[in-house]
This record gives sequence, C-alpha cells and structure tokens, in this order.
Amino acid sequence: MSKLKGKVAIVGIGEVPTGRFPETAAIYHGMASAKMAIKDAGIDKDEIDYVMPTGALYSPAFNTELVTCRIAEELGLKNVKKNCQIFAGGSSSTCALEIAAALIYSGAASMILFVHADKLGTGVTAQGAIDLFSTAGISAEWEVPYGQHYSAVTALSTMRYMYETGCTDEHMAAVCVSNRRWAQLNPNAFFRKPLTIEEVVKSKMLSTPLRAKQSNMLFDGGAAFIVTSAERARDLVEKPVYLLGEGGVVTHFVYSQEPDVSRFGWAKAGRMAFEESGLTVADMDLAEIYDSYPIFQIIGFEELGFCRRGEGGEIFLRGDTWPGGRIPCTTNGGMLSQGHTGAGGSVAILVETVRQLMGKAGERQVPNARFAVETAVGGTYMDAQVSILGTEIP
Amino acid sequence: MDAPKKPVPVVNPWAKPFWDAAKEERFIIQKCADCGKYIFYPRIACPHCFSDAVEWFPASGRATVYTYTVVESNAPSAFIADMPYVIAVVRLEEGGVQMLTNIVGCKPEDVRCDMPVEVVFEKLNDDFNLPKFRPAAK
Repeated sequence: MSKLKGKVAIVGIGEVPTGRFPETAAIYHGMASAKMAIKDAGIDKDEIDYVMPTGALYSPAFNTELVTCRIAEELGLKNVKKNCQIFAGGSSSTCALEIAAALIYSGAASMILFVHADKLGTGVTAQGAIDLFSTAGISAEWEVPYGQHYSAVTALSTMRYMYETGCTDEHMAAVCVSNRRWAQLNPNAFFRKPLTIEEVVKSKMLSTPLRAKQSNMLFDGGAAFIVTSAERARDLVEKPVYLLGEGGVVTHFVYSQEPDVSRFGWAKAGRMAFEESGLTVADMDLAEIYDSYPIFQIIGFEELGFCRRGEGGEIFLRGDTWPGGRIPCTTNGGMLSQGHTGAGGSVAILVETVRQLMGKAGERQVPNARFAVETAVGGTYMDAQVSILGTEIP
Repeated sequence: MDAPKKPVPVVNPWAKPFWDAAKEERFIIQKCADCGKYIFYPRIACPHCFSDAVEWFPASGRATVYTYTVVESNAPSAFIADMPYVIAVVRLEEGGVQMLTNIVGCKPEDVRCDMPVEVVFEKLNDDFNLPKFRPAAK
C-alpha cells in the first residue's frame, strides 16, 4: 500500500468542449484547458514546476510538440523543471495522478500540471480512425492478421458477458441511456439529445452483439488538472480533492491473453484502492466509471462492488445511475455521450470527478458529494486503474 | 477503391518456428520443460516460472470457442470485403492457452460460445498460412 493517502490534492481543473473543430489547432485544446486549470486553482502560472502532457494519437508530429515543451512555452511557464510525457493510453489520467502524487510527496515537484489535447474527430477520417484502431495496441503478429479492431474487442467481451450472465441488449443499451441523461446536462458533451433504449437496440450492427449507438465516437478535445500537496491545497481552494486510495492491475497486451474477458482486473484493483482509502463502496457518492463502450462500464461497476455480477444492467435500466438516482454513474456522459478524445476519455472522467467533488458541476451537480471512485483503462482493456478521491480525509 | 493488401503477421524471431510449422500445416505451441505448462503465444521464457527451457510441442488443434463476434460493419479497410466474418478467442485443448482467430467453415450465425472447433490452415500468401478454426468434425 502506498503512503499517498491524503497527502496530495487536485486544486484546479480545465476542459474545453468535446466536438469537431477542424479550424482549431490541436495544441489550443491543451493550452486553453491548462490556462483554465491554472485560473481555477488560483495560482500564479509560474508556480508550475512540472508539466505532464499525456500522449496524443492523431498525429505523431503533434505528439512530439507535446513532448518537446510546447505547452510550457506557449503559456509562458517560467519555472518548469521538467516537461515529461506520461502516457498509458486510456489509463494515462489515473496513472499520472499517482505518479504526480508520488513526486509531490517526495518533494521532487510542488505544483504539477497534467494536460491532454487531441484531434481525433477532425484530424483523421472515419475510416482512418477505424484503421488506426485496428493496429494501435493490437498485436501485429497475433491479432492484426485476423481483422481485429476495437469494436470487435468490445463485442468479444460483450458476447461472453451476456452468455455468462443472461444480460440482454436492453441492459447494454441502458448504459448508453444513463450516460446520455447526464450528457444532456453537460455543456462540454457532444451528444446532448435524449436517447431511448429502442434507438440503441435498433441502430446498425457493428460486430455482434455491439451496435453503432453502443459505440463511442472520436472527437477533438482537451482537459487539464493541477496537483499539489495537501497543505498547499488547503491554502488555495475551498474544497481540495484529495487522493485517498489507488489500485491497479496490468492484465495483458494481446487481448486473447486475458483469461477472463468479462471481468478483467477490476475486483483486485478496486480492493487495493478501497483498502488504502479506508472506505467502502457504500461510502461512495459517485461512481465515475470508464465506459468507452457499455460493457466496460457494467463490468467496472459490478466488479468494484456496486452490485452483484449480472445485476448492473438492471440498475442502469431502472435509473439508479441517472441524475437524481441512488448511485450517480459517469456523470459527464462518458465517452459514449461526451465523446472519446483518445487518452482524454479518461482525463474527462477524472476531471468530472473533481468537478463534482468541488461542487462545480452546475446542472448535474450531485448534492453533497464527498467521496468518489473513478476508473481508467487503456489499450484493449489491458489494465484496471482505480482511484478513490474525496474532499475529506477519513 | 482498391482494398489494401491483407496485413501479414509481423513475425518475431523467437516465434518463427510457429509460422514455419503453419506453412506445413502443422500446429505447434510451446511447453515449459520445467513447470510443464503450455504457452501461447510463443515467448522467450516461460511466463509462469520464467524458465528458459521452453520447447515446441505439437498441439492437438482441438479447441472450444471462448467468445466470438460476427463483424458486420466498420471493419478495418483490408477486411471490408470479408464481411461478415467471425473473430473468436478459442481455448485450446492444451489447458490455459487462448488465441485469437477466425472461425470458418460454417455460417457466421451458427457460431456459439463453448462450441468445439478444430484448427484449419488458410493460405494468406506464399509465405504465410494462418491457423483458423472450424466446427469440429462430429
């Protein structure tokens, strides 16, 4: 168990709308988000001593700009000791939070800016994105030659999960509807029109049993957050969001090597995080669960212990996870409704977790939210990353 | 638009015997001489006990479908013409070993989880046979 519980806090967040902005340079999404986060934290920009840009996927040239200090220079950050990319695909946010926490706790850094920007909505074509995600994170020797891609990966997990649990298409669709209910209240979300179960289950089949409206879509976007010590945080903001626990399990690179494609490592990662925090799932006011597709949100929700295996679909269907529900889940609308921006999909979920805990979530604010669990996962669901965050240190 | 060529396996040197055997329609996997466990895909050391004593072993080619999907739309460019096609993870009879493959030799809609299948080799080009699986003979 780490020594990080309650030692660091997130003090500022920033996010630009997720969408299609062909005229906007990718770097702007990162610069604007970082600027917002610095203002939100109420710090002088020159207090930032460490910049952690995460990886961008749409263009290697753009990613190189992030690696080679462009954000620090564009924003005029004068006291940056290191600019170092932290990239773990869709797990980047949660992995970076733990690394940032360790740097702060050790004294190696004092004020860390984490930032994401990408342009997957307009920087690549639709078929280009399918082709990108038929190779990115997929084994060139053992899976690419069989026509593997992310819809198929998801469909394989969904198929086995439905086979083992008896869950239905309606249960899967219910996750999309729940997330859309939240996105309707999120000005940064791309999909904000109401969505029905019927629309989802009648949408085009991609890879059985996965349908088009159960699939995320790729967009442009960016987000940022700032991490500092708990002591400094208390001087800066009314409600610092403390890191209370973290857990993680790396399970595979090649999807076929995952021994249980309808569970993954969530139960173990969740136990680690909850144990460190001293809290249980019953203490959570928010379940900010990584989606990208409905199956992964259901598996995460169930394996963390919010309900028994096979019951998740019914809980999403009856509205317990919706605005006003008993256990608000993925309250930004997730990648299914806010939109998927690459590594930013989970950055958006972490930023939303902080936003809710700080009480800054506007129309979709969950009243009196004190404790939250948030999750992230990268590649072909290669790992399970869990953080417990809260505005109090139990 | 011309469909791009099918991607060929990017072969790692330590896995070359697998592909050489496949070209001769032989299905081999690794087995650890120390702990006795089966290994797929091929590794430089046993992923269980870390022994260097990994040896090639002729697998039965019998397996069951762990999970599968029928790709009906949004396939990668090189596979658009193949739709609908079946991607599956199969569990080999040699315990603890899974691989990704295509299920062939039946209608896509006839594939089921846990159905028995057997290996069959499909020629990809002059250099490669891809091991795929078809419903097992009764």
